[in-house]
Amino acid sequence: MNAVLWPLVIDVRVQERATDKRGVRIWFPFFILWPLLLLLVALVLVVSVIVDLALLASGARYHRYTLLVLSTMRLLSQTRGIHAHVDSDGSLVTVDIY
Amino acid sequence: MNEDRKRILDMLADGKITSDQAEMLIDSLGAPVEPVPAPAPSPSAGWPSGPSAGGTPKFMYVKVRSSGKDTVDVKIPLALLRAGLKLTSLIPPQAMEQINESMAASGMSIDFNNLKPEDIEDVIESLREMEVNIVSADGDNVRVFCA
Repeated sequence: MNAVLWPLVIDVRVQERATDKRGVRIWFPFFILWPLLLLLVALVLVVSVIVDLALLASGARYHRYTLLVLSTMRLLSQTRGIHAHVDSDGSLVTVDIY
Repeated sequence: MNEDRKRILDMLADGKITSDQAEMLIDSLGAPVEPVPAPAPSPSAGWPSGPSAGGTPKFMYVKVRSSGKDTVDVKIPLALLRAGLKLTSLIPPQAMEQINESMAASGMSIDFNNLKPEDIEDVIESLREMEVNIVSADGDNVRVFCA
């Protein structure tokens, strides 16, 4: 299940300790891009399957573009859980991917 | 009469401060001490401080502490590393050759062609015992571990 669940939300917070108490918070609902991504992935998968079949028929050694696309999608889904926090010169930057 | 008040009056008597300054100082003695707000807890406060003793690690932690009080905390899911390593085994050979050449030019002679999918789990498992701890001469500290 986790393998296909892309990031839901990307939360970015920037705060200046000295001047700006509340700072800036960008809460990006990544899930609204899911339908667009699904459409794009479906199209790419169709093309990659055709290319792989053509490569296989021609006897090419490498014919794994479909797996490459699927693995890339899996890589995107595994970005969930990334957390980065930087505190430098009074500036706080926090990035969370849920 | 407490010691501070007596010292202020002595300074006034000696002519070291004016009566206005003395009054201000005495007023400040009686002023309630404002509580210092506690610093906000760091988002990484609950993170483990070192590699896990047992079990499969879930995250890779990178912690940087500079002598100038700058801090960087990064938590990366090991599943991402696993997916990335699996992806490298699927990259077309021509592209992989270019990647290897670029990495060799940068001083990192790692041949990803030798990385087989069945080795990836072993790599992840062995990360459990890995800990990188660099302390520079000027007090900067970089730690990388999995927990």
